[in-house]
Amino acid sequence: MICKLLKENDNNNSAAIPATSLAAGESSLRNEGKKKYRFDTTDVANVALFLAVFVGLWQLVTLLELWPKTLLPPPAQVAISISELITNNSLIIGIATSLWRLAAGFAISIAVGGMVGLAMVKFQGFGKTMSSFAVGLLTFPSIAWIPFSILLIGFNDFGILFVVVMASVFSVMISTYGAIRNVPPLYIRASKNMGAHGFALFRHVMIPAATPSLIGGIRQAWSFAWHALIGAEMLITTLSGLGYILAVGREFNDMSQIIAVMITIFVIGLLFDRIIFLRLEEKVRSRWGLNQHAE
Amino acid sequence: MALIETSSYTNKINNCSSHQERQEQQEQETFDFIPILHVKDVYKSFDYKNSKNNDSGKITNYDHISSEHHQQQPLSNSTRSLRTSTHKVLNGVDLKIREGEFVTIVGPSGCGKSTLLNIIAGLDKPDSGSLLVRGSVNDTNNASSTKRIMIFQESALFPWLNVQENVEFGLRLAKVRKERRRQVAHKYIEMVGLSKFSESLVYQLSGGMKQRVAIARALAMEPEVLLMDEPFAALDVQTRDLLHDELVGIYKTTGKTILFVTHNINEAILLGDRVIVLSSVLKNIKKEFQIDIPRPRDPETPELYEIKKQILREFEGDLQIAKRK
Repeated sequence: MICKLLKENDNNNSAAIPATSLAAGESSLRNEGKKKYRFDTTDVANVALFLAVFVGLWQLVTLLELWPKTLLPPPAQVAISISELITNNSLIIGIATSLWRLAAGFAISIAVGGMVGLAMVKFQGFGKTMSSFAVGLLTFPSIAWIPFSILLIGFNDFGILFVVVMASVFSVMISTYGAIRNVPPLYIRASKNMGAHGFALFRHVMIPAATPSLIGGIRQAWSFAWHALIGAEMLITTLSGLGYILAVGREFNDMSQIIAVMITIFVIGLLFDRIIFLRLEEKVRSRWGLNQHAE
Repeated sequence: MALIETSSYTNKINNCSSHQERQEQQEQETFDFIPILHVKDVYKSFDYKNSKNNDSGKITNYDHISSEHHQQQPLSNSTRSLRTSTHKVLNGVDLKIREGEFVTIVGPSGCGKSTLLNIIAGLDKPDSGSLLVRGSVNDTNNASSTKRIMIFQESALFPWLNVQENVEFGLRLAKVRKERRRQVAHKYIEMVGLSKFSESLVYQLSGGMKQRVAIARALAMEPEVLLMDEPFAALDVQTRDLLHDELVGIYKTTGKTILFVTHNINEAILLGDRVIVLSSVLKNIKKEFQIDIPRPRDPETPELYEIKKQILREFEGDLQIAKRK
């Protein structure tokens, strides 16, 4: 009987959806691998070309001497500045301090935002009220929290953390709330029928079902937190962090140091987004088969 | 090969005396056993918002009373003021199911067949009446509902799990050990002929394969009753025919009790030992047919054709009544 089933099964595949038989699955996997490889080389070439054009234009503008060299230094000077910042360790320490603050603030945001988001799902009245409140605070500029934070907490790490958390917690909250509420009821019914309830329903059904949209929300929250962190470091002086080095550059009229730190901030943001969030998102999307229309 | 019509019910709506009569008739008839499931006198109605100028007692649009769509009512109203109205979906349904029986329930959309299945699965509660499992009252909300597993029209597989993990899902919830889980999952994945695909992801499967996985997932729970809510309605004809054969094969090998809901008369008479016709006007069982023809069946045989004609006649009668109202 199994034999018969298998045979029928094959017939069924070839008739209904040839593209999803195992063989096709394998070949598509292979294609994916190949594509990734090709994608990477062209990508690298494109980025290199883009960078070359950008640096070339920059060099051109400085050669035109529209601004004095102290105000708009050429790329080479910025490169020297970067290497100086690296050799005297201030850049490395700055990056480490900033990332540590970011990690701490972001962790608090995810914990608090996630919990409140779940509570919003659980208690509907609270959810409705809180979501409009949170949307209001989501659009609230994070830099506007800084005076409040300085007076309430002071010029220290906690003051900066407060701003970072306030900038990102509402994004986590709203996306948790939305993602869980949009879990298809069919999944919930099916899993309840199989004996899921309470925490198990949450852990095994609601959370994984909400993951694709949750990742989007967390990605957004991360970028909010990053924006807020640099702003807070510039204004809440604590003698460390990337934002502080930026502020010092301004104090000493050292444009090449400012540009050097700007480049660092840009690269860190890009790396985090590409390496962590994009990878995570791609992994989930391909598992769910959400990438089909892109191929 | 005999065709026995077990009971003939009156066409009158809400006729209490005929209702009682019917129960007595049933009890003294073929049901001298303890049924694995006894849906006892179940009433269920749903509230939904309705336009003000629409008389709630009157069925103006036949589709509006569809139990499946009661939450997304198409409101064809021009007035803004809405009010809640109640519509009966199940009106004193009484149904006994023997262990190991393959029962099909057929009825047009809106006759409450999905609601009935939801109540049996414990996913919905009746307004009144009860569900007796092996003769004892069952609180429809307790864990023993895992003995009655539902298979939905859309397979309801979890896209974040692969085939194997999907089949293991219920066992994982029940905290079954990993090796044992694996073993059980393998057994049922093989039974539905998808061994090669146990590592596949849900989106890589065709509609028919998804339903096979859903069947395997249900079987892995080792339920007493398999509840199937139009499981093949979204499939193409060839795939559906294949899955009918496979379902019959699974029924023969596992001996599970199967309750199969469909709006497709052919499907009902091809699969069921007993075909129950639900009426969308009565909101109740209208007729039952016992089919003792061995499977695989051919819908063209005169006996089945005769039954089909009778079922169609019942549907037509309903439609006439609905129109007259």
